[in-house]
Amino acid sequence: MSSKRASTMPAPPKPPTSLASSLTIAEHASLTGTHLITLGSNTVVHPRAKFSSAHAPITVGSNCIICERSSIGFQSEASPNERQGVVIQNDVVIEVGAVVEAKTVGEGTVIEVQAKIGKGAVLGKHCKIGPQCEIVEGETVPDFTVVYGNGMRRLDNSGVEDLKLKMVARQIEVLKRLIPSNPAKFQ
Amino acid sequence: MSKKPVKGEYIETDTGNKVSRRSQIIGTTNIILGGKTVIQAEVIIRGDLLRTYPASNPSDKQGNTVAVAIGRYCFFSRGCELRPPGKLYKGQFSHYPLKIADHVFVGPSSIIEAALIGSHVNIGANVVVGKFAIIKDYVRILDGSVVPPNMVIPSFSVVAGRPARVVGEIAEGELDGMDLREVYRGVGNA
Repeated sequence: MSSKRASTMPAPPKPPTSLASSLTIAEHASLTGTHLITLGSNTVVHPRAKFSSAHAPITVGSNCIICERSSIGFQSEASPNERQGVVIQNDVVIEVGAVVEAKTVGEGTVIEVQAKIGKGAVLGKHCKIGPQCEIVEGETVPDFTVVYGNGMRRLDNSGVEDLKLKMVARQIEVLKRLIPSNPAKFQ
Repeated sequence: MSKKPVKGEYIETDTGNKVSRRSQIIGTTNIILGGKTVIQAEVIIRGDLLRTYPASNPSDKQGNTVAVAIGRYCFFSRGCELRPPGKLYKGQFSHYPLKIADHVFVGPSSIIEAALIGSHVNIGANVVVGKFAIIKDYVRILDGSVVPPNMVIPSFSVVAGRPARVVGEIAEGELDGMDLREVYRGVGNA
């Protein structure tokens, strides 16, 4: 094993990307694969976040936060009805170490620390997947679902989703100042 | 990758910290290590997530530049992560410093977003410590626990579960085992 950091190793071929101009992407993020990776405006990608488009494209909307060590993208061959790959809508927060192979992640959804979203799952809008929770392959999770503890579920009908979206926007404002962006490296 | 010169895995600093060359420390200028702390490979420390909300005490300007403060004889196992917690306060989002006292052990792949961790705390493997949790002295957190955000764990507790609860008390005989001086001496390039 080399003692050098991963960033100094010979770079694998870059995937085709479509990056919005107001994107914040840390230099130590990793984008690999062969399909198109689209990252929307105002989205923040923390260092050491991993996108892998080896099997299908990845589309991330605007105002998303993708934290370190999270892994986005299919890790195995896509079936014919999963050709559009992973689609993450606007205002989604993906926290540290989460693994997302979902077909769709709805607007305003929060995927917490080390949660796993199985391949081809569909998450509704404003869901919350708690730490270390798992959503199995191909499952559909309705809007406003909260998954917590050992896979327990409830519906969040507190109606504060607009406030939560505002909070994500505030968080992005701060992160934009703190994380030096280097989109040129990925183009 | 065999051309590398024969070098040990750890860099030893003047104050006796042993930091792995393969750790991923971001924002080093905002991290304070008290000394004799071990940081293993693939540990992420987010020193770049600084407090952006102005300090209430104007004379306390220097406190602003510390994101992670760590005491002496701490041990961070492979793949764990220390991350200052963030919240919305008076309409402004800001991260707040993560403070860790002495003799704190953090197991592999654990993610720590606590506000405060006291002395002699043992955190197992694959633990998630939620934002702004406060852990007092002499606490043991068992493997795989998920400590919810804002939880306050009293001294001498044993904590486990998802979400984590206090499941027992630390016996008096265990206290000596939570001293990490021996563990520190065992780590090195030899």
